[in-house]
Amino acid sequence: MPEQSPSPAPTVEQEPVVAGTQPLVLELPPTETDAKVEKSASKRLGLFGWVAIVWLALVTLSALLAPVLPVPAPDQHFIGHETEAISFAHPMGTDGTGQDMMARVIWGARASLLISVSSVVLGLILGGLLGLIAGYYRGKLDTFLTNLFNVFLAVPQLVLALALVAVFASDPAKVSSQFHWIVDWPVSQREFWLIISIGIVSIPIIGRIARASTLTWAQREFVLAARSMGAKNRRIMIRDVLPNVLPAMFSIALLGVAVVIVLEGGLSILGVGVPPSTPSWGNLIATGRNELTKIVGAAPQVILAPSVAIFLTVLALNYLGDVIRARFDVRESAI
Amino acid sequence: MRAVLQRLIQLLIVLVLVTIFCALLIDRVPGDVTYTLAPVATPQQRADLRHQLHLDKPVYVRYGEWVDGLVHGDLGCYYGTSGYSTASQCPDKVADRVKDALPISLALMVYAQVLALVLAIPLGVLTAYRAGSLFDKSVNTAAFALLAIPNFVLGLVLAYYVGSKLGWVEPTGWIPWGDDPVGHIKQAALPTISLAVGQVAVYMRLLRSDMIATLQEDFVTMARAKGLSPARILWRHALRPSSLTLLTVAGLNVGTLIGGAVVIENIFVIHGMGFLIADAIFRRQYVALQSYVAILAIGYVVVNFLVDILYAILDPRIRHARAVA
Amino acid sequence: MVAAACSSKKSGGGATTSAGEQDNTKPVMGGSVVYAQEAEDAGGLCLPEAQLDISGINYARTIYDTLTAPNDKGDFVPFLAKSVDHNADFTEWTIGLREGIKFHDGTTLDAQVVKNNLDAYRGTYPARHPILFSLVFGPYVKSVDVVDPLTVKVTVAQPWPAFPSYLWSSGRLGIMAQAQLDSQDCAKQLIGTGPFKLREWVVNDHFTADRNPDYWQKDKDGNQLPYLDSITFKPVPDGQQRLNGLTSGQFQLIHTSSSIDQEQLRALAQQGKITNTESDKFAEVSHLMLCTVQDPAGKICPGTPFWNEHARRAVALALDRETLIHVRGKDIPQIASGPFAPGAIGYLADAGFPKFNLDEAKKEVAAYKADTGKDLEFTYGGTPDPEGVETQNFIKAMFEAAGMKVSTYTVEQTQYINVAVQRNFQMYGWRNFPGSDPDSLFVWWHCNNAPPAPCDNLVNFGGFNDPVINSDLEKGRVETDPAKRQAIYEDLNRQFSKQLYDIWTNWTVWAVATQTNVHGIFGPDLPDGSKPNPGLATGHSMAGLFVTP
Repeated sequence: MPEQSPSPAPTVEQEPVVAGTQPLVLELPPTETDAKVEKSASKRLGLFGWVAIVWLALVTLSALLAPVLPVPAPDQHFIGHETEAISFAHPMGTDGTGQDMMARVIWGARASLLISVSSVVLGLILGGLLGLIAGYYRGKLDTFLTNLFNVFLAVPQLVLALALVAVFASDPAKVSSQFHWIVDWPVSQREFWLIISIGIVSIPIIGRIARASTLTWAQREFVLAARSMGAKNRRIMIRDVLPNVLPAMFSIALLGVAVVIVLEGGLSILGVGVPPSTPSWGNLIATGRNELTKIVGAAPQVILAPSVAIFLTVLALNYLGDVIRARFDVRESAI
Repeated sequence: MRAVLQRLIQLLIVLVLVTIFCALLIDRVPGDVTYTLAPVATPQQRADLRHQLHLDKPVYVRYGEWVDGLVHGDLGCYYGTSGYSTASQCPDKVADRVKDALPISLALMVYAQVLALVLAIPLGVLTAYRAGSLFDKSVNTAAFALLAIPNFVLGLVLAYYVGSKLGWVEPTGWIPWGDDPVGHIKQAALPTISLAVGQVAVYMRLLRSDMIATLQEDFVTMARAKGLSPARILWRHALRPSSLTLLTVAGLNVGTLIGGAVVIENIFVIHGMGFLIADAIFRRQYVALQSYVAILAIGYVVVNFLVDILYAILDPRIRHARAVA
Repeated sequence: MVAAACSSKKSGGGATTSAGEQDNTKPVMGGSVVYAQEAEDAGGLCLPEAQLDISGINYARTIYDTLTAPNDKGDFVPFLAKSVDHNADFTEWTIGLREGIKFHDGTTLDAQVVKNNLDAYRGTYPARHPILFSLVFGPYVKSVDVVDPLTVKVTVAQPWPAFPSYLWSSGRLGIMAQAQLDSQDCAKQLIGTGPFKLREWVVNDHFTADRNPDYWQKDKDGNQLPYLDSITFKPVPDGQQRLNGLTSGQFQLIHTSSSIDQEQLRALAQQGKITNTESDKFAEVSHLMLCTVQDPAGKICPGTPFWNEHARRAVALALDRETLIHVRGKDIPQIASGPFAPGAIGYLADAGFPKFNLDEAKKEVAAYKADTGKDLEFTYGGTPDPEGVETQNFIKAMFEAAGMKVSTYTVEQTQYINVAVQRNFQMYGWRNFPGSDPDSLFVWWHCNNAPPAPCDNLVNFGGFNDPVINSDLEKGRVETDPAKRQAIYEDLNRQFSKQLYDIWTNWTVWAVATQTNVHGIFGPDLPDGSKPNPGLATGHSMAGLFVTP
């Protein structure tokens, strides 16, 4: 079978940076020397790190507790207060139908986080498993899986997600039918299929990273030792290789959530995101896309509030993902 | 030579698998194209139209027809109410749309990559050289910040500010180079910037990371000892071996940018490949979609191949490793 | 006299013109314009088979002419035809043609080709397979005959006073050349007698047409029409993008039916930056279409509660149309009292449509529950544009205030009609019934089968089969006395308000906004000297457009 690219032997492979959405920050893990340079910054979280964690905790809590927070309902229309600017009553202003933007951004976090976290988890489980198998067993299985990944990677992430959503969730009458996901958290069919579709799209990407990481670890001496002692492959994979691969996976998970949040925005702009009756950061931006250029009755907060929310969240996730990667630096093998 | 053959086989395999997957997938999309072409129709009329358009044939037959067309250089025809036409009679050829859209997507992709690299390479080199300094820290922070802006939000803001408010460019639309070179550059500016900004940050950090590692190596120490200037070391000796990761990622980006800039194309009303693909999905134009996906797949593999070649050129160690193998 | 009064409560300070206001600028020959349209007609322009939306109608009116056209009073006067006469009982229609008119390919417009066109529309011409038009004409036209090279006789099955309005059909019944009629490529090979000839059409990109130097129509001073050298249409679905393109000079003309856009256009016109023309004359009515068939098999109108009268009354009572028009319509359109706009036959200022009453609505919700044992829940579909989505959510909140549970969804533009055709909805945002002769609405509402079976008419999307409406439509079609006709259609209007199959919101206001140097939107005077129709719901003539330097 033809070699895969990139061909320099087992360095951590570089992953496709997805265009049209937000690129994954995936880099060669630093060498020991690099780690020395960044030591003071990377071994501790630093101020930025803590700020990032606090922000993410804030967002997650608000999303989970949205129904009990003292904000108006996201679909409550304050008649007579349409397109109002920031005020005491409406800290983020109102939109064109008088809905409170802060409430919508908070509730938007629910949908955005639900979709991004769920699809990344799906991708991690399936992609991680496939990548682990490919990297550990190598040989024909590896080539087969890598080719499979390649086939999916040949189509841009956004296009594939768009096609999958169109296939699974474009019957209009069914799109908004809901079922209850976790206790009393209704999720529409479209949201469900968004999670599945984006999860499928992320499998090859995460798979390749898992494979690359597994490759480096699976060749280490302790694995050789375990095998020569007669330990079963599955046991070695789970008990010896997996724990070492996990930090890279965790780092990818954080970055992946960031990417998916933005991806959902892109899909919303194309019209296949979360159905607009439920706010999500993506569909808030899509609804507000014209607010900047309106001459009369503009409500820029409709697009700016969710954009700032996304910006801060993606920033925090990227930063933390980077810190974790630096902390658990994986040694580069010689060429 | 053997490498080229290997690549060709790989191309073929990826192409076949991707297009089969595509054919199977689209077959499942609810609402076929007859509902778009003729929303109001009696069941008999609809069945007749489906028959005319070959939609009543099984998936593999239609796939075969498409392959047959492709082999004869025909990318297919958009379905119309006049029925499925052969290439000679097709009023709305897929090839014509590709002829218009592909140059646009290629141009956009090239501009975005060039802009990103032109900014990222110097920054990557300099921050690696001055790793740990205030300059390095601030540039890194700025990089993170740029990464965090969704590119479509940036696009909307730029379209508003530079387009509508300042009026320097039209807020939407594309002008081909042939029509008006100055207008072309003006119209390409905003979408290019929207696409490039996020990439600058990624490329810069990739290069920086590799560069820091390279700068620790012995040959660099030796060059310094021999009295070569830092600039010369950085640019002439350290840059080449450090650019592998950057190269790989940039290469993969090239592939995805051709069809993946759908949202930017939507915002700036640019009718590139991304627009055509999304349009084909929404309008259930199966044949056109197959051809577009095939083009993307070819692009992906070709780019991977070129990246591989560049690898060998840039890093003698790989060249030697391959020669030995 | 044409009503020049603005249709809305808030006027744009005189800067926004309405139909009929005089523009005395002297026409200038030459020039080109780019006209941004809200949609694209991907299905092509094989007119008998096409199902044209407004941009398609604009294309059609550029390339083709119809035999009749409406004037400022709403009467259908001969246009491409020289005369349209009927016998005493309106069963025979004699169409006289003008001499010397040529198609764009040089062939002559004669009775044979007109007969072939009419046969194509009614489904008896072998090469063409019309769908919607065959429903309109098929069973009602007995024969079409050539009397002499310039005369065609149409014999209809029953007295049909409104027949001339069908020769217009909202501008969709253009006369095509024989070559196009017979072509396998009919959808893209466009040959008509119209003011412009097709140069190039790249779907979803542009539609360009050049002046027809042999055009038959002249303006009232005897000048050859059209004035423009060429016209290019560009599909730009996003209204704000069209507007931005107008202000930046990219487009010379745009149209929009969005109140949000219109509010901005009024402001721009007030600042003197553009010319804005609005009209809700002979307008369509925007409404919430309800699927009213109770199908135990769950195939037709699956899950709909609106077979039940209480459900329909509940939504009608819960919809606060005043607030809706104020907040989302920016007070630009008028609340619709029924499907017929002011000036149309059958119009009533109050047809009995329920006034907003939240308490009554809640009572109806309870009554529904008592009737069926279920809560009043339904789905509500709309268009995915940002403005539509916000309005949809706004309306949803009104229904939920009355205790209903509503889940909204959007349908992409390309699939929008399908959902209606397949009756795969419960409540659906819709807009239709432009103000032509009310008999033209026969095709949308009439059922041939007897109630209570669901309507056998494909295009009665809501599926209602109402004996009063069926009988009013049948009577109104053959009634020749204008006063009696009016009474019949008023009765129809009242029946709609009683049964509430459709929840009327407002009559659609269309705005055509242009650069200040573009004139002649409504087109030239008609051949018989009457003024052009002041409506914009079916596009407008392109022959009268001109640009001053």
